[in-house]
Amino acid sequence: MTQLRPDMFEEAAVRLDGVSLRYDSSEEILSRIDLVLKPGSFSFLTGASGAGKSSLLKLLYLSQQPSRGEVSLFGSATSRLSRDQLSALRRRVGVVFQEFRLLGHLTAYENVALPLRVMGRKESQYRRDVEELLAWVGLGERMHKRPETLSGGEQQRVAIARAVVTQPDLLIADEPTGNVDPDMAARLMRLFHELNKRLGTTVVIATHDLGLIRQIDAPVYRIANGMLVKESSAAAPTARRRTDPLKVMP
Amino acid sequence: MKQAESSLLPLEDAREAALFFVVGALCFLAALAALSAKSTYGAARAWTAQVEGEFTVSLSGADASAADMAAKLLAGIEGVETARAFSDAEINALLEPNFGQSGLPEDLPVPRLIAVTAEAGADDLGPGLSTALNAAGYTAAVDSHGEWAGDVRHMLSVSRIVALSIVALLSATAIAVIAFATHAALLARRDIVDVLHIAGAKDRFIAGLFQRRFWLLGLRAGTVGALLALASVAVLIALGRSGAERNGLLPQLSLDFHDLAVLVITPVLAGLAARLAAGVTVRRALRTVM
Repeated sequence: MTQLRPDMFEEAAVRLDGVSLRYDSSEEILSRIDLVLKPGSFSFLTGASGAGKSSLLKLLYLSQQPSRGEVSLFGSATSRLSRDQLSALRRRVGVVFQEFRLLGHLTAYENVALPLRVMGRKESQYRRDVEELLAWVGLGERMHKRPETLSGGEQQRVAIARAVVTQPDLLIADEPTGNVDPDMAARLMRLFHELNKRLGTTVVIATHDLGLIRQIDAPVYRIANGMLVKESSAAAPTARRRTDPLKVMP
Repeated sequence: MKQAESSLLPLEDAREAALFFVVGALCFLAALAALSAKSTYGAARAWTAQVEGEFTVSLSGADASAADMAAKLLAGIEGVETARAFSDAEINALLEPNFGQSGLPEDLPVPRLIAVTAEAGADDLGPGLSTALNAAGYTAAVDSHGEWAGDVRHMLSVSRIVALSIVALLSATAIAVIAFATHAALLARRDIVDVLHIAGAKDRFIAGLFQRRFWLLGLRAGTVGALLALASVAVLIALGRSGAERNGLLPQLSLDFHDLAVLVITPVLAGLAARLAAGVTVRRALRTVM
């Protein structure tokens, strides 16, 4: 389990100061956004399609530089970091892409192990952890299958396992339930919530699915016209009471 | 069941097979050009050394016995290995294209010729030979073949430069092709690069994947090209030997240690060039992203 370090409580996990984003000479997609996410927080990001959710997430997982403003992760202003330092910072971030982005020539096991290989770990060091994680997400019997042979839900769980295998300090998920049925969506949300509660992982989930948002009592940030607005929790009363330890997925 | 770790890059595709062919062909041509350059260089050294170590002395108004005496005199000079007066038959043979087979007119004042061979490493003997003969009362002219040797050296140095330029051009072309192919491979596998990049892979880690892939590709393609060049040279040598009497002025192709070194170095250089091109291309591409 990830140890909760003292500095996690001293520094914001995510901090955006006056961040704007435009691609080339187009209009600004994001405009003067300020955001602070505390370590161990759970947040939703919502907005209409094309509103800029994915662009904001790109800024958070350090795939895109802002046109203006500063993005800071775990107290480090990213504009002042070297490329190697940025790489090191990215290793503290797990990302679940909307389209999964699994590597087709690798098995589910190898896809999940990929961030660990990037970190230079030997297979003997991570093999058991990866196998246990895949079993935990219900893919113990299919871990040596390639993504093309897995269902959408299974691929989604592989993508999630890959994102959490390093026990990241920040987990970012872009429409993580967009390709699965409602039952699977609910189970994935419980998985995210469990990671947040058990490991202290800061979780940011982008979705336009209000049903999903209502399942968990967490702040909701809405993007509209390039601006970010914080809304109160959309969780339904019945959902709010469901803060008991979540069950492991089948 | 434990499975071996797969490469983070997919197996070769058709694009890399085409690149393999191109690099192999370029390595074949480069190895062949390098071997030709080396043979030309060797031939140039041999020819000039041979020409520069020989002198022809012509004595005016001297008979055969005087020529023999002069040859003995020259043989005693330091640095002279041999000195031999031409016989009448040899002189007639030399003049036969001009006077026919009926022999020379008795009253024709034909100079007597002496062939002098210098010892290896001897200084320029020409002036010394003239001085010694004049001091002994001979009217002599010494031809050091310098003008002809200069022409040979000039022609061969031009040939060497041409061959080396071809090697350089082929090498540069191979590097450019590899760089272009690496860039294409990078674009085709942008998804993999993105996933690795976002997972926290450093630039050198990602570049290393492509460098290893293209190092092996260059090495294998270079080996095939070098082996084909070896086979071609073997055929040329066989053909050359079958017509040995008529190819005296052509560079002699052979396979000695240096030739084999060229064939061994070719794939290594191809691999290194491919690795370098891949590394530079990937790092440059990665610098365009955050």
